Amino acid sequence: MADNNDEEPMADGGSGTGIVAPDDETPTWRERKERTEGLSRLTYEYFERARREDQDLRQESDYVERDVLAFPAWPHEMIRNLSLTSFFVGMILFLSATLPPHIGPPANPSSTPAIILPDWYLYWSFGLLKLGPLNPELSILGGETAAEGAKLMADRTYGVVANLVVVGFVAIVPFLNKGSARRPVEQPFWAAVGVFGVVFAFTISMLSIKNLLPIGSNLLLDVTFLLPFVAGTISYALLRSMQEGYMYDLNRRYYRLRPPK
Amino acid sequence: MPLDEDKYPVESDRRRFVKGVVGGAALAGVTTASAAAVNTATAPTGAGGGTTTFYAVENTDGPAPRGMPQIPVEIDSEGYLKGAWPEYEDGADAAVTEDYKGSGVDYSSAWFQYCGVQTYSGVYPEADQDNYFRYSDSGYDWHSDKGGDKIHIDDFQELGDPWREWNTSFGTRANGKPASGTWRSQDLEPAETMPIQLIRSQNVLDLAKEDEWIDASTAEGCVAWLNKCTHFCCVPGFKSIAGSANFGAADKIYCQCHQSVYDPFSIVQKSFVALPRPEKEG
Repeated sequence: MADNNDEEPMADGGSGTGIVAPDDETPTWRERKERTEGLSRLTYEYFERARREDQDLRQESDYVERDVLAFPAWPHEMIRNLSLTSFFVGMILFLSATLPPHIGPPANPSSTPAIILPDWYLYWSFGLLKLGPLNPELSILGGETAAEGAKLMADRTYGVVANLVVVGFVAIVPFLNKGSARRPVEQPFWAAVGVFGVVFAFTISMLSIKNLLPIGSNLLLDVTFLLPFVAGTISYALLRSMQEGYMYDLNRRYYRLRPPK
Repeated sequence: MPLDEDKYPVESDRRRFVKGVVGGAALAGVTTASAAAVNTATAPTGAGGGTTTFYAVENTDGPAPRGMPQIPVEIDSEGYLKGAWPEYEDGADAAVTEDYKGSGVDYSSAWFQYCGVQTYSGVYPEADQDNYFRYSDSGYDWHSDKGGDKIHIDDFQELGDPWREWNTSFGTRANGKPASGTWRSQDLEPAETMPIQLIRSQNVLDLAKEDEWIDASTAEGCVAWLNKCTHFCCVPGFKSIAGSANFGAADKIYCQCHQSVYDPFSIVQKSFVALPRPEKEG
């Protein structure tokens, strides 16, 4: 004490009560209370212990600072994962116990209801099964009409192959464009491809319920394939014309924050 | 040079050779094991089936690959309608009647082996079933109270409109009257019931004058077919759904699932690959 007084005089004489004004790190009274019991107490102790062990490790003489800083898989990550898993398994058990599913009688394959549709999110696939008119007829194969086998593959096969084409395209897109753009105006073409896909998903769904829509079947087929192209073209033109002004504004704000050297 | 080079053995010819042998052995092991697994997990191939020529109600529109197979109709002495079932000889792949009633057509039970019907009890050639057509519960209004009864030729006259006058609110008059029924499926659960439709029509009487097979396979203007859409196995209907008018099928057989259309007044010869019947257990 005496030494300190000589070198650096302090306002309170260097022998205060030890009470310091609260800063950001100081827990509030509410937080202190929350940590005194139950799960919050347990969690607090757990993390405090982990922090302490970490601190001890760092203070060991052979400690080397490494780049990788994270919780170890065991036990930290494992405990977290197990608790999440238990929660969701518990929810499934709880819901299945409280809401027993209605199980109807088995389907009767010897009669078909008048309106028969899959769930709505499968309409697009159902619609692809109705693309018979697009299945090219080859006169070289002989036969006067479609029913006489003038097609390279049956309409039934064609509809199934169409599913592969759509799924294949969706699978290829991430390899063609890695999606680094954060807003549609940055890459108008790929944004237009996206709009095409969304509109096509909608129109092909409409085609799948063509027997319920008050639109002629041929007109509906035309609209199914034209509307996505129209929507894609419009969105491309729109985004392309917006692009320059939008990017100018964006760049100006960027360089205002980080002026070029 | 990577920092952790000393952790791994040096690449050498010997090491490459060992890697090759181990890799090859592993691949061979996996292939053998999966082949064995597929073998045990799949059912034996079963009997019957193969390329079959048959007579069908023509598929005129929609994605179905071919028409639905026709069932030759017979009338017994009391006037009840039966679907003919071909003759079975012990040990044969299928029941076959060669040169059916002198028409030159070989009528085979393999005609009906598609769409899962090949697993139904009634389609086994030796199955102990009588061949009468019976009304089904779901069908036309005029026979809605006849569920399960045998179809009689006079029913077309007695119940509701006379058969030449029968019509629906859509389409034009078909000169005939349809009925929905079942065949070779009595006392079987719905999953094994063979749905059929038959029409008694003046058009059929006219067709029968020109064609030997139609003459042999119809009786008093009644034509019958196995009512399973060849596309994805739904059960269509002749003039049973008003929406069929949008697809040019108001006077035809229309499948509500994928809009396949069949014409019952156009009997054509088709061929398909019949599926084998699985071996019956026990």
